[in-house]
Amino acid sequence: MTVTSTLPEPRARAALPSRRHVETACLLGPALIVLALLFVVPLARLFSLAFTDPAGPFATFGVLAESAVYRQVMWNTFVVAIVVTALCTLLAWPVAYVLSRLDGVWFGLALYGVLFPFWISVLVRTFSWMLLLERNGPINRLLMATGITDSPLALLFNNVGVLVGMIHILLPYMILPLYGAMVRIDRRLLLASDGLGASLVDTFRRIYLPLCLPGLAGGATFVFLLSLGFFITPALLGGSNAITLSMLIASFVNDRLAWSLAAAGSLALLAIVLVLMALAARLLPIERGLFAR
Amino acid sequence: MNRLPLLLRVSANAGASLVLAFLVLPILAVVPASFNKASFIYLPPRAWSGVWYERFLADPEWRTSLINSVEVAMLATIIAVVLGTLAAIGLRRIDGRLRTLVTGLFLAPMIVPVIVTAVALYRSALDVGLSGTILGMSLGHAILALPFVVINVGIALRAVDDNWLRAAAGLGAGPWRIFRTVTLPNITPGIVGGAIFSFITSFDEVIIAVFMAGYASKTLPVKIWESIRLEFTPVIAVAATVMIALAIVLFALAQILSRKSGSPSR
Repeated sequence: MTVTSTLPEPRARAALPSRRHVETACLLGPALIVLALLFVVPLARLFSLAFTDPAGPFATFGVLAESAVYRQVMWNTFVVAIVVTALCTLLAWPVAYVLSRLDGVWFGLALYGVLFPFWISVLVRTFSWMLLLERNGPINRLLMATGITDSPLALLFNNVGVLVGMIHILLPYMILPLYGAMVRIDRRLLLASDGLGASLVDTFRRIYLPLCLPGLAGGATFVFLLSLGFFITPALLGGSNAITLSMLIASFVNDRLAWSLAAAGSLALLAIVLVLMALAARLLPIERGLFAR
Repeated sequence: MNRLPLLLRVSANAGASLVLAFLVLPILAVVPASFNKASFIYLPPRAWSGVWYERFLADPEWRTSLINSVEVAMLATIIAVVLGTLAAIGLRRIDGRLRTLVTGLFLAPMIVPVIVTAVALYRSALDVGLSGTILGMSLGHAILALPFVVINVGIALRAVDDNWLRAAAGLGAGPWRIFRTVTLPNITPGIVGGAIFSFITSFDEVIIAVFMAGYASKTLPVKIWESIRLEFTPVIAVAATVMIALAIVLFALAQILSRKSGSPSR
């Protein structure tokens, strides 16, 4: 009977001081073993492949760094992530503000509007955008009917499609932390600033913005890091015209069976994500922002 | 800020409404597309019909993929819920650096980009013969679902007062009995929430599935993924609509259950 209670029977504890440790180990053990076998070991084995190239242990990284094509892919991955983060920040602002000011039914409705996309598969949402952004799709027809363009725009299979799709998927990750920061702002501070004669812009710049910063930083970090690893949306909406690092890794495995390159690319991606996370945790007032809900 | 001028307030509301419309409405585009009569996707359909639903149900490949998805998701859910619940209870019994370390390990699958996890799993699954099997896919999905269970059950556990457990022990109950009669009833909402999250995580997951799927173990998302790239017919919209419907039902269920129990689980 090693399973489980938060505290052992007092007398048993006195008799067998280590019984509690055995119980704890039995509780944590199964999950840790499965996690080790199915996650830690496979990752370690994959990464070790990056150093097995016959040309030398770091040859694969050299290949990745020196090829103009791969550098272009890296560059594109970062540009997409930066633009997605910037646009999400811009778009999240009014939603988070209005959410922080609403209550009752309207608040519930607006909140469900932000949460609903979370429920729906990323693949399904990406497919929706394929239908909408098509050459013959409703958005192009609307643009032509209103006379904004004469011929259909290429919205799909380039970075435009990737940006729209990724912003749609990542925007809630920006709205929620920002809302979390805004809703905790003490309105009396703003009143006081008003009362002391500060202009609207001053109050925003010196009081509202700094207080929103933790949420903003948390959301932006989240969105940026998730963008770097995105696969499905760029693969379907961008195609071969907008290759990202994750698509490159997949093609190393599927099309070229270049395992050492896939391993090096994976290690690079994970390293970038971890370094940026550590930096963000150190430099930004992120803690409160990320866990704000 | 406290009282924005009218113009600013109106534009904030208008902006928020537009962004919310951008978030919600595009998702629903697949629903009318699935009722298209034509053999190509045209939005909105010029003629409506349920013919592609019949095709979906009649095609053994689509049907099998749906069944595979349900099987994989159930298996992944069982694995994640059992391991995650035990782990969450165990986590409460350690503290300090060890606790931070173990918690970090449990949450790591959320941090590592899924493409990296998928490639790593695929490589190891090839070597041990799990590639292309339902079990291999379920195990991969269970790893992704585990953090949700640990978090959900962990939150529910906060509501369990240590004094109740001491009282039960003082009254002579053994550890198993304490778990069954005190801990379990109190964390059930967390377990159910974690289970629903796990199921949806697995049911919606594409990246690991695309790498792990063999001919006989394609899940619905894998079949959708392949069809988008190969044929692009309205059947895909039917499959996508099925996925949307299932997600809405499950989350509504999660909401009702968590409200009923008044627990903090999400």
